[in-house]
Amino acid sequence: MNVESILAGAVAGGTSILYPTLGEVIAERSGVVNLGTEGSMLCGALAAYAVGIETGNPWLGVLAGLVAGALMAMVHAYVVLARGANQLATGLVVSFLGLGLTSLFGQDYVGRGVEALTDWDVPLLSELPFLGRVLFQHDPLTYLSIVAAFAAWWALRRTRAGVRLRAAGERPEVLSTFGTSPVRVRFLAVTCGGALAGLGGAQLATAFTRNWSEGMTAGRGYIAVGLTIFAAWDPLRAIAGAYLFSGAEALQLQLQAEGTSLSPFLLQAFPYVVVILVLALLSSRRLGAAPEALSRVFEGRAA
Amino acid sequence: MTTPVNDAPAVDAPGVEEVPAVVSISVATAPDARGGLPAAAGVVVRALRWLGPPAAALAVFALFLVLKGASPAEAFEGMWRSAFGDGDAFGETLLRTVPLLMAALAVAVPARAGLFNIGGEGQLLLGAIGAQAMAMVLDGSLPSAPTLVLMALAGMAAGLVWAAIAGGLRVVTGMNEAISSLLLNYLAAILLAWLVFEPWKDPNSLGQAYSEELVGGERLPVIWGDRVHLGVLLVAVVPVVLWLVLRYTPWGFKLRVVGGNPEAARRAGLRVGGLGLAAMALGGAIAGLGGMLEVAGVEGRLRPDMLVGFGYIGFLASWLGRHHPLKAIGASAALAAVAVGGNGLKVASGLSGGAVNVLMALVLLAVLGWSQKESKETRAPSVALRVGLRRSAARARPEAAVAGVAVATGEALDAEGARA
Repeated sequence: MNVESILAGAVAGGTSILYPTLGEVIAERSGVVNLGTEGSMLCGALAAYAVGIETGNPWLGVLAGLVAGALMAMVHAYVVLARGANQLATGLVVSFLGLGLTSLFGQDYVGRGVEALTDWDVPLLSELPFLGRVLFQHDPLTYLSIVAAFAAWWALRRTRAGVRLRAAGERPEVLSTFGTSPVRVRFLAVTCGGALAGLGGAQLATAFTRNWSEGMTAGRGYIAVGLTIFAAWDPLRAIAGAYLFSGAEALQLQLQAEGTSLSPFLLQAFPYVVVILVLALLSSRRLGAAPEALSRVFEGRAA
Repeated sequence: MTTPVNDAPAVDAPGVEEVPAVVSISVATAPDARGGLPAAAGVVVRALRWLGPPAAALAVFALFLVLKGASPAEAFEGMWRSAFGDGDAFGETLLRTVPLLMAALAVAVPARAGLFNIGGEGQLLLGAIGAQAMAMVLDGSLPSAPTLVLMALAGMAAGLVWAAIAGGLRVVTGMNEAISSLLLNYLAAILLAWLVFEPWKDPNSLGQAYSEELVGGERLPVIWGDRVHLGVLLVAVVPVVLWLVLRYTPWGFKLRVVGGNPEAARRAGLRVGGLGLAAMALGGAIAGLGGMLEVAGVEGRLRPDMLVGFGYIGFLASWLGRHHPLKAIGASAALAAVAVGGNGLKVASGLSGGAVNVLMALVLLAVLGWSQKESKETRAPSVALRVGLRRSAARARPEAAVAGVAVATGEALDAEGARA
């Protein structure tokens, strides 16, 4: 079995799950669960793909994906924060909206080729044996995702905005006392999270699969919400979570390519089973680390 | 039994004021807080609340259609024709209502216990798989009626198991049931695809894979037109039975208490985990029945893309009906009409069938966002869901809910004790 290509595949495939996981970490740290991440990803993927085709410039596509993801998240944030609707239900409906919108506007783009984001080999490092192929021969958005994870980690710990965001998720009353609106902080956090999810969708459509098909995210947005628990709401652990899923995916693809006796359908189930099992094993330990306002949502107590 | 009130964490001033309101919601139906308005104005407000969200959703959907370059008038007319145009169209809407309603009830029952079952999609599919498996095992060895009953039981058992996985994970590991049931949907779809493409594949199926066809006694008899099958009658039966169970049995009451506040229920001696698990399982069984009805009444075989999206639309229907079993009938029928209208959209305007999902999602967003402003008047089934509907955490008072439901639970258990 070719370990090098499995790991390289895990890194390439993990990007489209790392971005939404980071986005969800940011949103949930502010106290809002966003199951609409799936919808943000789908809209981001289609927007990036379509704009990439129409303009011929994949980077404009990536920008469009970012904006589309943020817009979907703003719908969620508005209905949840300004209108007080239930977070889990609203998120699912936003995902459903994303599925419908991309089905409506995406049908003309099925099967059309896009100017893909090309891989950029890091000078020198990419020539390293083994590590070069695994880590340093990817598209720019993949490198950026790692940078984004560290940036999010630093921002949450060290910046004024990060402290405010965490306060909104732990003790919104305190934040109000200091003259900052927790609702505004949450709105921005959810929007920012949606932008990251849109970026993940953009990478999926324009760099990883280089294709558009209806419902192509296949639950990645929901998996990101699950992995947020795995990551204990820590951006750096989100990297591990994302590569756990994509590693399982890359492993099963490699097994399929090598032609095992196992059915390809059962292999397809493998990454989902891994995520469910890992979450089942870790949930009880992780939930203590959940932001205070968030555990109320998870326990069905409050929004 | 009211002692837990004293154990509740200190409640700050505005929360104290809210205690009576929460108690009244959990114990009795909510009082009409708009008391000051004259009756006629109340009717207008109510009508607006019912008609406003769908109208707003239709307007936004029309805007999207214009953006796409389609004529909204043509599209709506096509949708109407394919959902209600003639007897066949109406029959189709009726047929689509069946699995939708079962998926909606699969959401509604756990919601009573404060749990989110988003796994209706997978539970429907498992029901279809279970029914098909039973038909293959029996292989025509029994007369039609017992065959169909056994198929229904097998479908319900399969749906029950699938939902119980999510419910069990919640009880044992604390894993959030919304996320586990969502992920299980993907596994169910993969399982169905595997069965249909490999072990159960009909050798005669060439291009599109499907399982062997159910024949004769394995099919539900058609009772109206060419397609409407006997199972349609269950649309009236299942919700009523469920409503009676939830409203008039001790078990139904306990579910409401658990949904009201798990902590208070635990202190009152209820087995919170077991009740939640049972609610999930019952929901899964109902969805499983929906899958069985689809395979025995409509499809007659398993196909890889059967029932796609119905679990999610059922979730929307349950929220549209505020998790009330009887209101779920109307909500499911309305969404079924929109779903069937999707075919008309395809024919009349050449748009993709999935486009109607936009309309359904918009209606739900409008309902979720529109009515919560008046959340003091709305009657959601449980405090947990009600509290979840509030505007911000600063205003939500779980402590108040603890106090309120503890009182309710205490009274109810005392009453039960008196009866025994």
